[in-house]
Amino acid sequence: MRYVHLYFTCIKRSMISRLEYKKDTMIALFSFFFSNLCSLAALYFILQSIPALAGYSLPEVGFFYGFSMLPIALDHLFSDEFWLVAYRRVKDGDMDMHFLRPVPVIFQVFAETFQPEGFGELILGVALIAVCASSLTVKVTLGAIAVLCIGAVFGAVIITSLKVSMAALAFIFKRSGPLLQIIYNFSNYAKYPLAIYPAFIRAMLIFLLPFGLFISLPVDTLLYGTHDPWLLCLAIIICAAVFFALAVRIWTLCERRYESTGS
Amino acid sequence: MIEVNELSKVFRKPIRGTGVSGMVKTLFSRKYEEIRAVDKISFTVPDGQIVGYIGANGAGKSTTIKMMCGILTPTSGSILIDGVEPYRRRQQVAQHIGVVFGQKTQLWWDIPLIESFKVLKEIYQVSDADYKERMDFLGEVLDITRFLSQPVRTLSLGERMRADLAASMLHNPRILFLDEPTIGMDVLVKEKIRQAIHALNRTYGTTVVLTTHDMNDIEDLCSRIILLEKGKILYDGPLTSLKNRFGNIKTLTLTVPADIRAETAPVLSPDVALSEEDGRLILRFDADKTALEQVIQYAFRDLKAMDMKIAEISIGDVVKTILEQQEAEHAEKI
Repeated sequence: MRYVHLYFTCIKRSMISRLEYKKDTMIALFSFFFSNLCSLAALYFILQSIPALAGYSLPEVGFFYGFSMLPIALDHLFSDEFWLVAYRRVKDGDMDMHFLRPVPVIFQVFAETFQPEGFGELILGVALIAVCASSLTVKVTLGAIAVLCIGAVFGAVIITSLKVSMAALAFIFKRSGPLLQIIYNFSNYAKYPLAIYPAFIRAMLIFLLPFGLFISLPVDTLLYGTHDPWLLCLAIIICAAVFFALAVRIWTLCERRYESTGS
Repeated sequence: MIEVNELSKVFRKPIRGTGVSGMVKTLFSRKYEEIRAVDKISFTVPDGQIVGYIGANGAGKSTTIKMMCGILTPTSGSILIDGVEPYRRRQQVAQHIGVVFGQKTQLWWDIPLIESFKVLKEIYQVSDADYKERMDFLGEVLDITRFLSQPVRTLSLGERMRADLAASMLHNPRILFLDEPTIGMDVLVKEKIRQAIHALNRTYGTTVVLTTHDMNDIEDLCSRIILLEKGKILYDGPLTSLKNRFGNIKTLTLTVPADIRAETAPVLSPDVALSEEDGRLILRFDADKTALEQVIQYAFRDLKAMDMKIAEISIGDVVKTILEQQEAEHAEKI
């Protein structure tokens, strides 16, 4: 309970920081919206020239793309500070302040920034889903809805966990940004149906970096009823729990290797 | 109470070549050199004491402070802060210590100062009554009320440092670690900061560990100093006995006629050292061996002094002398 209260206090602080630079916030919101719009347009033009992608129609691929934006957007809202940790803050010895406070360092990093830009992606994703869903004719079941919600929320937890683990390596290597970038880029694969990939990438996207598990499989379940939705829900939740526990463990182990900088 | 026992910190650094080709070779080399930043030091600081922790740049002062406040994990040895190891139970210790690094601010850069304090109030769980009392106290001794509503990035260096000090004292820590709190400050701000540290120490009995290069800080504040060099403790004890270690040294600065030179001037005794600086003569002697009166007479009679200034040896000179002796000994060994 204390931490919930503390989180909101810190977030309020982060919002005040953002609002100090009004124009910057507006530009960031707009540019995120715009860059996503551009990639959507690119996707649209590509699909215009090919009738279908591995058997998926245009609205289906659009639905995929829209859904894939949700967990990424949620992750973006809450854990953007880890990018800075990975690229800059450990290297610059800028983490000292967190080590001096009677609160877990990882909590402080989460509470350091709240990124309202994530709302731009969230709105765009939902809009795309709504537009594409209107031209799809599928029987919507309760299970399919559940698996989509679970996929979005717990998918965000999995993305965040990967991010935390990679950022934690900065405590050892001083800078782990590029590594984090590579892992994060795999989420681009998950914006399309798994069926278009060769078997080994498919396996990797389900078992190793499970973007496929919480994006492709839920959408396939909605469109074609490929999996048992409740079993899939369970699998995603367990996966998220394991990833998160591992991430926190890796972070706390690496944290003690922090060396700061001279003076 | 702080108990430090056989504390060491070793940093492992790859041996680097220089230039691009050297850096590329470094990538594939597995050679490391060990840097002993802190080498088996032990000391104890009782409650309510103000300790000056001094030494040249790179002597290991900041490294020790960082270990004591839980940022760095020691390579070996132990630290107990009120019986608790800061690197094992960081959060527990953090609640009872305050830390200021003169070189880095711990305040949020782009929000008004008062907002930073509000967040810290929540982080340290300070009650409303305590918060009000503390803010009144700090507002008075550090004079920060005027700029509470300004964003930190718009504060001057002196204001920022006072704000940082206030932030570190907000939760009434039992121990305060100050790493160069007066660096880059003007005389007035330095004075204000010293007064604040005194006031805090008197009012709440706070223990203070202070590193500084300003010997006036030390003379004003510290009853005890710990002198560190190359990771080892050279001296640990009261300020007065360090000063007397070289005897009751006094210096006389004389304005003399142009024809009196240090090399050619008559000598009183081998105990009185003569040197020249900016056209003035400097006499350096131990007042316990040669009477001051005798030296003054000599200065007026033999050196035809027109004006003179008498000064006691400063703590800065003492430290300088000790460090120079160390360097010389070190050079001899090599």
